[in-house]
Amino acid sequence: MPLYVCNAAKGAIKDEAKPKIAADITRIHCDVTGAPPEFVHAFFVEDAPNQPLGDKTAFLFGSIRAGRNDEQKAQIVSQMRQSVETHAGIALDQIDMVTVDVPASWVLEGGAIMPEPGEEAEWMAKHHPVHAE
Amino acid sequence: MIPCNCVVQDAQVSAASEAVLRQNLNAFTEKHFGEPAEISWLRVPAGSGFTAGSPSTSAIISIRANAPVSKAQREPLLRDLCAMWMAETNQTLNEVVGVISDPLPEEES
Repeated sequence: MPLYVCNAAKGAIKDEAKPKIAADITRIHCDVTGAPPEFVHAFFVEDAPNQPLGDKTAFLFGSIRAGRNDEQKAQIVSQMRQSVETHAGIALDQIDMVTVDVPASWVLEGGAIMPEPGEEAEWMAKHHPVHAE
Repeated sequence: MIPCNCVVQDAQVSAASEAVLRQNLNAFTEKHFGEPAEISWLRVPAGSGFTAGSPSTSAIISIRANAPVSKAQREPLLRDLCAMWMAETNQTLNEVVGVISDPLPEEES
């Protein structure tokens, strides 16, 4: 967590664009929130029925840990939409995005309950072998 | 019905394993929440899943309970959920993300 799922019309996001957008999503989330990149999942699907596109070409749905403020969320939405525009060539007004807050205590990742925002370093040292060294 | 969303990397879960996992998820929600699971299964195509910017092997299993779950209840439930998943898929703890949410206010039973 966070989990960002980008649903798009079939063929709208080429395979070569996906790692670039995923890298941007990871960087943007970490820059804005201070979270470690190991937490960030970015998945791309096409015409997924549970994330209707409506009249848009792409829809980015972000499940993020609760505790981020409105300014942080606005930065995430703005910058990630721009990344999709840049790398996929989809017009900005055809890219929708929402985020939903998920309490950290509701999530088990890496075998441990997720840390609250701001408590990541201690959690990583305890639960992530690379950072524990 | 208990909403249950599974997001998996396409190559990691066979059709046979998917069938077993669906049965197990249904048993899990029946046991703990008294209702069958309403499963939404989303397969991420090869080359379309990334964790930390690198190709992902992660699966996300998210269940929305039908009544608020206490902190003392939630962690054991999450551990059971992830253990059930790992037993079938052979994925590791670092590859499985479990979420058990409280119900939406209008859904509380």
